[in-house]
Amino acid sequence: MIAIVMETQRLMAEPVPGISAVPDETNARYFHVVVAELFLPEEYPMSAPKVRFMTKIYHPNIDKLGRICLDILKDKWSPALQIRTVLLSIQALLSAPNPDDPLANDVAELWKVNESEAIRIAREWTRTYAMGN
Amino acid sequence: MSDEEMEFSDDDYDDYYGGEYDGDVDHVDPQKNDPEYFHVACLTDTEVERLLNESVEQLSNSIQVTPSLAKLLLHMYNWNQIEIVAGYRQDCHKMLTSVHIKPATPPQQMTNNQQGESEATCPVCLAPMSPDYASHLTCGHTFCKDCWSMHFEVQIKQGMSTGIECMGNSCQVLAPEDFVVPLLKRPRLKEKYQQYAFSDYVRSHPQLRFCPGPNCNIVIQAKECRAKRVTCTACKSQFCYKCGGDYHAPTDCETIRCWLTKCADDSETANYISAHTKDVNIDSFQAVGPCKTVGEYEEIAYCPKCHICIEKNGGCNHMQCFNCKHDFCWMCLGCWKTHGSEYYECSRYKENPNIAHESAHAQAREALKKYLHYYERWENHSKSLKLEEETLAKIRERIQNKVMAGTGTWIDWQYLLDAAALLARCRYTLQNTYPFAYYLESGPRKDLFEYQQAQLEAEIENLSWKIERAEMTDRGDLENQMDIVEKRRTTLLTDFLQV
Repeated sequence: MIAIVMETQRLMAEPVPGISAVPDETNARYFHVVVAELFLPEEYPMSAPKVRFMTKIYHPNIDKLGRICLDILKDKWSPALQIRTVLLSIQALLSAPNPDDPLANDVAELWKVNESEAIRIAREWTRTYAMGN
Repeated sequence: MSDEEMEFSDDDYDDYYGGEYDGDVDHVDPQKNDPEYFHVACLTDTEVERLLNESVEQLSNSIQVTPSLAKLLLHMYNWNQIEIVAGYRQDCHKMLTSVHIKPATPPQQMTNNQQGESEATCPVCLAPMSPDYASHLTCGHTFCKDCWSMHFEVQIKQGMSTGIECMGNSCQVLAPEDFVVPLLKRPRLKEKYQQYAFSDYVRSHPQLRFCPGPNCNIVIQAKECRAKRVTCTACKSQFCYKCGGDYHAPTDCETIRCWLTKCADDSETANYISAHTKDVNIDSFQAVGPCKTVGEYEEIAYCPKCHICIEKNGGCNHMQCFNCKHDFCWMCLGCWKTHGSEYYECSRYKENPNIAHESAHAQAREALKKYLHYYERWENHSKSLKLEEETLAKIRERIQNKVMAGTGTWIDWQYLLDAAALLARCRYTLQNTYPFAYYLESGPRKDLFEYQQAQLEAEIENLSWKIERAEMTDRGDLENQMDIVEKRRTTLLTDFLQV
């Protein structure tokens, strides 16, 4: 628990550029991250945080329910990683999708065939779902 | 005669007739005599542990490493000591890196948050840690002991043991037993770790197998991994050593897997087809009328001669109509006389010789017909095995009644139980000949196989027939039949069992 408090303090003092992560007022394990949610399970940091997008994202590695296919959130998790590194990794994934290891097959397909069209749809989704409200 | 003397003389009798049974035959290696011979040992977990520890000790002495490290090496190299010793002597650094005991790159001390501070900070819990409360593996990633033990606890809860890695980011160095165990706080967790590690070791050992029997803790040891029958001494379950599934000679592991998958996929189709068609069995008796009703009343047929309704209540496929005394085969409803003679045809599938010229539709139907032919026989023998189990209960009852009525003694009747056991064993092999035949390519080898299969089948049905009707006077005849059946089975296995 001390680790979580210290990590949170650091995160607030020096935020990850481009990402705002705010701890929930009632639960220190829960973070509001822009359009996503981040939850630290009981075993954290021995097991990975749970991260999910709350709005629809058009991305080959993110499914309809906002679940993210990212190795460090699964088998490649290391207790030495932190919320900061997780956020950075997700940011990197958003800017560089990996259509060869897809979670949403239809999106991955389009991404490979017609990347500019896929990016156009992704922008549109962001405007409609993330910036609309 | 006193009881003691009585027992003694019984032993004598057994020795003479049982033990010396093949006294005039030279003592031969059982491996040559019995195609199914397979030497295994059933070990308890303490025995296995002793066996593993011996290997660990040997290795740790010969290459001078800690037992814990030796254990990890053996596990990673499937307990191949020779390979480890050779590799270790050649290049010990390369070997230790390849199994993730040492990091690929030389260790570097973690220096974050250390500048100017006398005490380092644990990178996981961010709390300061004194040097004696910190520990690291060969990779040098240092964490406080609390975090290590919490890490191990979470990993063990997920079922990990020998594969627990360092906490460092993308560090694959494995934590050996002597690093993990002292850091585990709760005894229950230590126990769990040892238990998981033990199953990992057994699984990686080429000579060991867990008995697949439910809740059975026995480990089977065999010198070589072959698809042979193993009977667990504790739970009595029988299985194939290689694949762990039900024993399946003469069919091999790969083929039986294909067959079982196919049956699982196709059996519903087969059910549908047999339920909606009446002429699955094409035979000369087809003209006589509806032969066999299927579906719900699978154990009911009409006598091909007098058309009376007959229920199958025993395992034997040699049926005799109680009404007209007509003998027929349950499987093909053909006259039994043609089965008993030299050329038994029921088990053989007759392929349409002109099939290559037929339409795709006809070919598909032919393929299905072929599959159904083998599937029905496979399924029928499986049912027969179950029915013969019921027959065994009836035999016991019959023996009880006979003995009580003063016809013979318990000893006199034992042969009938032996016969039933032999029948079950032979029918089981027969059942497993069908997948083998299904996948066997046409040719002289298949002809020979089907000939032997037919011979075996005919003799098995004879034996089943005789057992169901055995009276004491039949003993000689029955034992003769037992011998014939077992010989036929052994011959078939000797010629076709290649494992």
